[in-house]
Amino acid sequence: MSRQDDARAQWRARADMRVLDRDIPRVDAPLKTTGRARYTHDVRLPNMVYARLVLAAVPRAEIEELDLEEARGMPGVVLVGADKEIGESLVYLGDDSVIAHVVAETPEQAKDAARAVRFALRSKSPVVTREQALDPDAPDVTGRGNVRAGRGPRDAEKVQSLLEGSAHRVKGTYTLPIQHHVCLETHGCVVDLRDDGATVYASTQVVSGNAGDFAQMLGLEASKVRLVCEHMGGGFGSKFGPGLEGAIACRIAVELKRPVHLMLDRPQEFQMAGNRSGTHAEIEMGCDANGVLTAITGTVDRLGGMGGGSFPGLPYIYECENSSALVRSVHTALDANRAMRAPGHPQGSFVMETALDELAYLSGVGPFEIRKRNVSGEDGEIWRRHLDVVAREIGWEAHPNKTKPGEADRDGFAIGIGFGLATWRAGGFPGAECNVRISNDGSVVSSCAVQDLGTGARTYVAAIPAEELGLAVHDVQPRVGDSSLPPGVGSGGSVTTGSVAPVVKAAAYKARTAFERRLSESVGKEGLTFDWNGGRVRSSDGSLDVSFREACAMLGSTPISETANYQDGQHLTARGRLHGAQAAKVRVDTLTGRVEVLDMVAIQDTGIPLNRLAVRSQINGGMVGSLSYGLLEERVLDPELGLLLTGNLETYKIAGAREIPPMRAIVDDEDERWAVTGMAEATGVPGHSAIGNAIYNACGARLRSVPFTPDRVLQALAQRS
Amino acid sequence: MTDRPVSEGREASTDPPSAPAPTPRGLSRRTFLTGAGTVAAGGVAAGGILEGRADAGPRRAGGARRVEGLVEVTLTINGKKRKAMVEPRTTLLSTLRHHLAEPLTGTKEVCDRGNCGACTVMVDGRPVYSCLQLAVRCEGHEITTVEGLGSPEAQSDVQEAFAACDGQMCGFCTPGFVVSTTACLERHPGVDRETIRRELSGNLCRCGTYPHVFEAAERARDARAKKEGGR
Repeated sequence: MSRQDDARAQWRARADMRVLDRDIPRVDAPLKTTGRARYTHDVRLPNMVYARLVLAAVPRAEIEELDLEEARGMPGVVLVGADKEIGESLVYLGDDSVIAHVVAETPEQAKDAARAVRFALRSKSPVVTREQALDPDAPDVTGRGNVRAGRGPRDAEKVQSLLEGSAHRVKGTYTLPIQHHVCLETHGCVVDLRDDGATVYASTQVVSGNAGDFAQMLGLEASKVRLVCEHMGGGFGSKFGPGLEGAIACRIAVELKRPVHLMLDRPQEFQMAGNRSGTHAEIEMGCDANGVLTAITGTVDRLGGMGGGSFPGLPYIYECENSSALVRSVHTALDANRAMRAPGHPQGSFVMETALDELAYLSGVGPFEIRKRNVSGEDGEIWRRHLDVVAREIGWEAHPNKTKPGEADRDGFAIGIGFGLATWRAGGFPGAECNVRISNDGSVVSSCAVQDLGTGARTYVAAIPAEELGLAVHDVQPRVGDSSLPPGVGSGGSVTTGSVAPVVKAAAYKARTAFERRLSESVGKEGLTFDWNGGRVRSSDGSLDVSFREACAMLGSTPISETANYQDGQHLTARGRLHGAQAAKVRVDTLTGRVEVLDMVAIQDTGIPLNRLAVRSQINGGMVGSLSYGLLEERVLDPELGLLLTGNLETYKIAGAREIPPMRAIVDDEDERWAVTGMAEATGVPGHSAIGNAIYNACGARLRSVPFTPDRVLQALAQRS
Repeated sequence: MTDRPVSEGREASTDPPSAPAPTPRGLSRRTFLTGAGTVAAGGVAAGGILEGRADAGPRRAGGARRVEGLVEVTLTINGKKRKAMVEPRTTLLSTLRHHLAEPLTGTKEVCDRGNCGACTVMVDGRPVYSCLQLAVRCEGHEITTVEGLGSPEAQSDVQEAFAACDGQMCGFCTPGFVVSTTACLERHPGVDRETIRRELSGNLCRCGTYPHVFEAAERARDARAKKEGGR
């Protein structure tokens, strides 16, 4: 294929792509499948010590005693330090619970020493639930009041009169629990401070940015700190900053001048490493006789602990001009919510999709049709098309319960189908740079400090230059996850691909065109174009036809090294919003209340699917995550003492293999944007909503609270009208 | 640990609060009895085996072998004998990750109490949670970790199938899944999807890789069947 020397890099047309837009097994898979991938947890350095935090188990308490002497005398103990003082208050459950830290030669010794730290607390009433926070006599947990009102309500009177004039109305309380990220690799770092600087190994979503944070805490210039995150065991929005654990590790490293390994253990991870805020929504919503929304009002409480919580506002992605819901934050003495895969959206989805679903049956329009009637514009056209796809895949046409819920069979089982829509923003932002270097031995190195959370970033950092240079993916060596490389961006809000892939493309393009100029000089002709394909380089006039490696040999002692930034590549990034739809088919055991998901399907627009295999993995991940949220997950606190009762995986349940039905992840190949974007957030938005709606469709049990546990299903069955 | 209130302000301990009870169940995790006389050793425990000391080695008492303090164990890991100095309460997981001269960190610690399967290894061909095994009890057994199944340059068929099907995202659960899948295919050569789901139900993934893990298991199964059939 011959191409002009374009002024700017352009993505090849789909028909011309040979590497991208295909299934690309990720380049680091063999390291991961064989246990050779080195995570922060796995870093072992000579003379390294193990640090461990000591946490109080209750919020809102005063420290009456704190005695570190016994711990200091334990075998193998190197250091014990206090992080709170006698008389100091513990305000909230979370990183504020850290009372002390211990450092020992082995993890077991550190554990023993942590147990030997003695402290006594005098606890006050805990304020860990919404009800406790709203009690008129409740103590003020934040010092700024327990309720902070946000926007709304607007035009309350008008909305109320519209509601009263609506053909159909629903009024209900919809709740979602606090959810945890549950990164399998806990938060933490290894700090190796030496005389000439420091190397910090951290499980982080922000490799480039965190290097500076650690430098500050170590009292070093930013240039003296190298941050390494070769592989990380999940982030999901919870791993942006070094955290208190990072700060304490730095203090220890400065004091001991030995490498420090400080990772949270699993109960600590649940207590202080972040969560998705809970939601309590009291909503009233109406529609006309055709199922078209007329008005929405109510109050939405975001339950983000000390944080504000997240909620996208109503009517979420549907159309309704007259919406006047009040959104406010209700604070409790719990750690602040953090970003978690599409912050606020799964909550907004559940409230909106459930209430709309109720109107679908009240109006007789049915759950499939009512969604189509309440989206609009170009976005609406895409969502309608997506609904058609998932309806076809899930078997809606042949399903009997189109406008009324079904009934259980003689054995007590009922089968239903439900729907939900997804969105998030597309695109990227500035900050990343990429360098592509081609040497005379034929090696190609593509470098960007970006982290790979498991999304496949490392793979496209190699695959994009491979496409540009007519090579195979394994011919390009990707280098990522190291702050000494050209900067990456933080991975939050699905912006990584939209911010980094265009820059990699631009750098590869610059490298290829620079290479072509050098080749033209070598053969002494001007105006040649070159074809790069199948590991060969051919000039348009036929004077050059060599292997890639032979072409590289012509470079002599000066390699090609080209760096690009977002300016060079931003036209390659998709704009607008992401769209998707999901459908679930469930079987409800009406005798026990148990819900089994039988089938789940998702379609998602993705711009150019750089790696179709990794994109399907992300879509599956979204479905699995929301299935888990819908059926199992819930942070539970004891309201008497404020203890976290779900502090490990036997009490905080997440979906396992037996919960996973056949799932189909469909990449929307009709997306007309020939540009790149991340898309993971959108895929985690609607799955639990679709499952809840499927339960109603099966048997008429309306689940207004997540998770859909058997007791709640039985209760909803008993309340059927 | 948050599983016990801290009324007297001390981090909850998994150790029993008082002297060991006269049953193996009541033994401190820091003192453990091994060898032929486990039952008899219960009586010995009643006679006063107490907390471990850092410098003590294995000793015999009343016909039972008593181990306490720091002891040397020789473990057969991936076909090689490896020595380690461990305490009686040291788990196999911790031994692999922290107490070998060349640590084997492929086996992951996620929950450290038998919920998640990230630490799955094979002992005599059976999948076990290494966080629930004491290293001192593993002497004389064949231990296989994920590193022993293959290397990046020469992956096992199961590992190859995981790579081909994208059976890993962040990859932290992957070693456990690879070991469990390997064990599953050994036990059930013609395994169906339902059985795969059951056999892998002891492993948790957070990225949501399950559908591709199931495909990987089926791909490895089919490749083996083809190989068998071709003979």
